[in-house]
Formats: sequence, C-alpha cells, structure tokens
Amino acid sequence: MGKPHSIVLQNVNKEYRRDEFVIPVLSDLDLVVDEGEYLALMGPSGSGKTTLLNLIAGLDRATSGAVIVHGQDLGTMSEGQVTRWRADNVGFIFQLYNLIPVLTAFENVELPLLLTHLSKKHRRENVMTALRAVGLDGREDHYPRQLSGGQEQRVAIARAVVTDPYLLVADEPTGDLDRKSAEEILSLLQQLNTEFGKTIVMVTHDPQAAQRASRILHLDKGKLVRDEQQISFPVGVAS
Amino acid sequence: MIPLKYNVRNLRVRWVNTLLTVIGTGAIVWSSCILFGLVEGLQHSLNVSGDPLDLIVMRKGSTSETNSGIELTKAEKIPTLSGVMRDDKGRPLAALELLNIPIVERLDGSRANLIVRGVDPVSSELRPNFQIVKDGGRMFEPGKGECIVSKNLTKRFKGAALGSELKVGEREKYRVVGVFSSGGSAAESEVWVDRKDLEQNIAREGITSSVQVRAASQADFESLRKTIENDTQFKLAAIPEVQYFAEQSKSSIFLKVAGTVIAILLTIGAMFAAANTMYAAVRSRTREIGTLRALGFSRTDVLMSFMGESVLLCSLGGIAGLLATLPLSAITYGTSNFNTFAEITIQFRFGPIVMLVAFLMTVAMGVFGGLFPAMRAVRMDVVTALREV
Repeated sequence: MGKPHSIVLQNVNKEYRRDEFVIPVLSDLDLVVDEGEYLALMGPSGSGKTTLLNLIAGLDRATSGAVIVHGQDLGTMSEGQVTRWRADNVGFIFQLYNLIPVLTAFENVELPLLLTHLSKKHRRENVMTALRAVGLDGREDHYPRQLSGGQEQRVAIARAVVTDPYLLVADEPTGDLDRKSAEEILSLLQQLNTEFGKTIVMVTHDPQAAQRASRILHLDKGKLVRDEQQISFPVGVAS
Repeated sequence: MIPLKYNVRNLRVRWVNTLLTVIGTGAIVWSSCILFGLVEGLQHSLNVSGDPLDLIVMRKGSTSETNSGIELTKAEKIPTLSGVMRDDKGRPLAALELLNIPIVERLDGSRANLIVRGVDPVSSELRPNFQIVKDGGRMFEPGKGECIVSKNLTKRFKGAALGSELKVGEREKYRVVGVFSSGGSAAESEVWVDRKDLEQNIAREGITSSVQVRAASQADFESLRKTIENDTQFKLAAIPEVQYFAEQSKSSIFLKVAGTVIAILLTIGAMFAAANTMYAAVRSRTREIGTLRALGFSRTDVLMSFMGESVLLCSLGGIAGLLATLPLSAITYGTSNFNTFAEITIQFRFGPIVMLVAFLMTVAMGVFGGLFPAMRAVRMDVVTALREV
C-alpha cells in the first residue's frame, strides 16, 4: 500500500490582476505529494514556484482548482481558519530568515507557541529542545544581530519546527548563505525529513540544494515541466 | 497574542522617534494639565471658602461685597442677634468687613486691582484654617497703619513682603507685620487691615461692605437669614456663604470651556504626531508583520499589538507631561475675578481633574493616533508583506 497523500493539487490556476491586465502564474497544475516527501521546486524566475509554495502553505489562494493539504481543502476555509491552520500545521523557513530583530533567539522560537495553550514551563522546554536540535543551545539569549547568517537560519528552523508542524515550507533557505552554512542548513533539513518524517517543500535556485531533496519539480511559465524522483534518496518515514 | 515586549523593545530601538513623540505628546498633556490644574485650584479655593453655617450679609441687589454698602448702624446690630455662634471668649462670630480694591504695583512693574479688607478681630475665626505662617510675623494692631498679607501675595506685589511698606492707591500705605495663610480659601488673595483704619483711610466712615456671620446651628442659620432679610430694621440680603462662592466660581466655567476646547485641539494635533510615528513603525516593520501573520497571528493580534504600542507611546508622553506639572504645585498664578475685577491668586492644584484630563488625552492620542496605522498593518497582504526587503 502506498503512503498517504500529504498534498494534493487538482487543476490549480493562479492569476494576478494588475490594472486591466490578467497575469497567469500557474496553469492547470495537478500534483500529489506523499507524506514524508522532500520536494524541491526549481525553475527560472517568474516560473511560479514561490506562488505554488504560498498556495501549499495557505498564504495565498488559488484562482481556481483545489489545494488539499493534510486532508484539508484550503479553498473552502475562511481566512481566520486558514490562519489558525497555518499555526497548527505549517513551519516556515524564509530566505532572509525573517527573525524579529528585537526578540532574542529564545523569544523568536517561542513566538509560534504563544498561539498554543502550553504553559510557560512547557513552552520553555519545547523551545530549548528545538534550539538543541539545531545546535544552538547556549545561544538562546542572543539577538539576531549577534548571530551569523547560518545561525540565524538555524533559529528560523527551530522556530519552524517548535510546534511540531505537519509540513515545512522553505523559500530559498540557503539563498543568503555562504556554501558552508548552506550545507549545514541543508543537512539539517534532510535530517528533519529522514529522522522526523517531516514533509518538506523547498523552493530553490541551487541545483546542489535540490539534490538533497527526494523529488525535484521543474516549473516553467506556470506549468510543471519535469518531475524527477531521486531514487537514491532515503525517503523519511511519516510519523 | 503578540508579546508586549515586542512593542516595548521596538519603541526602545527607535528611541529617537519615540523620544520626539514622547516630548511632543508630553508637552501637550503638560500644557493642558496646567490649565485644568489652575481651574481646579480656583474651584478648590472657592469651595473651601464657604462654610455651611456662614451667611454673608450685603445690601439687597448686590452681587458681590465690592458693590455692597450697609450703614454701620444696621450692621452693628447683626452681631447682637440671637442665634449667632460665639467663640471661646464669648464673642459673637459676626464680623463687619469693609472692602477696598485699589490699584497696586506688581513686582514686575505692572499694576493690578488688589483686595484690601478691613476686618474685625473675629474675622480670622470665620475663615478656614486661618493662621499667621511660621516666621511670618504677627497679627496687625489697630490704629498703627499695619497690615497682614496672604502668603500668596508676598511674592507678587511690590512692598508685600514681611517688614516692607505696602503702598495701595494714592494715599494709603501699610506696614506689613504678618503673613497669613487660610487653607487655600479666597482670603489668600487679600490684604487684611483693621476695619476702622481702612474706614479712615478711604473716608468711608459710617459704612461697611458686608457682615460675615456664623450661625450657632442649622436652625439658627435659617432663622437668622429670615430675620436679616425680612425684619424691617434690616431688609438686607443674607446669602449662604456656600451659595455666594458657588456664584463666584461661575467665572471658572469660562476657563473650563476654553481649556476643554484648547485641550481637544491640542489632542488632535498630538494624534497626528502619534499617527506619524506609528505609520513609520508600520512601514519599517512590513516584513515582520508579514512574518507574524504567516506564523499564525491573526489580524486582530496585529491590530491590538500596534494599537497597544501607540497607547504605550502616548502613555509615556502622558506620564511625562503629568509628572512635569508636579513642581507647579508650588507656584501661584494671578488672574482677575470676573465679578470683582480684583486680582485673585490661584494655586495650581494637582487633583482628579488634572489626572482625568491627562488620562483622557493620552488614551485619545494613543487610540486614534494608532488606529489608522494599525489598520494599515492589518490590511497588509501577507505575501506582499513577506516580499518587502
């Protein structure tokens, strides 16, 4: 028996309106991603990969078609419900880390937990566990400006996983890092996929980064042009 | 909920903007508080001046002591009426008082009307907490051209300091032998001399301005009032002192209305200052707002966070403005009584009106100044906000 589907896109279209112009970004897209898959989205600028990531993460809505993630049809949910759903199910990793500069590493990681009913003590335990997992215990009182780029991205990853979300989305997670830091971040993402079974969708321009994924989707002009399964990749087991 | 420390630290990080806004809003709260503090001082002065058992006897039709005149033959009978309270020494607590309002030179060289009150020995007992202040000399002695001066006036008029010679009008002058206080009452805007001395000096023998009477009880108060008003030998106006000062305090209504209008206009100005600061805050934190929304914080969370930051910012200004008014409790301000045109001194009073004004202004500035910038933050599209560099 196959793995349960994590993400299902059915005939998805997305277009933007600029004044009287309609700009199509994604056209008739069908996609199925299994639980525990590590998917890399590649393609030239303007191919629609970030838009696709935003649709899957519940940050944007399809113009038509269905986006079903973890059994939920996001198009049928109200904005408030999608916001809540994101908090419960999605961990975000951004190219520029998007840490809050006035909060410490600990406080940044704690942010998503403030939306849960966890006690202060439990929040603290979870934050410290997440920081340990990304190798940053001892740095919890540092502000983002006191950390290197790689360390900032680790804090962002800790923030993404601290609520134990179903799905991790990463938009160019290594785009602002040197090669060494990029390798460390990619290893960390791979570890989250293989050891913890997290489904990951990553947008990247970097072929080396994409090689770490279990599957690579190539987009061009809003269409899926190639779907590569990385046979050698040890696909994680969904928990 | 987005933690408050996020807002507190952002205010600290943008400390120049924060400081400028705090100074601006603080100055506005400060200036409004001064105005209302003086109104409160004026009201307090007039409120404490009236005793519920006291009557002020004046000529019928007079609106204040300054335009009242009673023949001495009539006035001297009032202390002998039954129902008048007596002091420890058995003296009736009824004082004939004569008012003169000469023009006196202020220390700064300008001139103002000043109340010189010719009093009887029991007059001081008819004023609240009347006392010669510490190291403030002694009570005047009749027939020696002496006076006592309210502490508030000593630093406002030329020759009003203890031991000086106070020149009032063209011919009158008195040696200041004492400085008094009287619980913040209207007496604190006056110079007191012996009534008979004043009679001679201003050539108003045989006449007095008013009689201050204290009734022995509430029942006596009513009967005294009826006697003085209706008995053919008097036919005078006996006005309850509380009512008299309530009438006098109507002049403060103008100050209050003017103050309120000014405070509202200033508050609107401060709202723009706060809004400007908050718009800048929202603009510079667009990506942070997008991130918070992506993480699952709702529009309401963002709205409350930015509104809270605005209220916090204006509260800092409000508190600073309010604290800056504290040293003013030590100063007095002179203005004209609209009924007598005499100078009255008002002590700035840090009381409930001032605190209410500061609170209302702060909340209005914070809420309305923060509302539109916060709405802008709330309306942001998450995807667009996340793209902001």
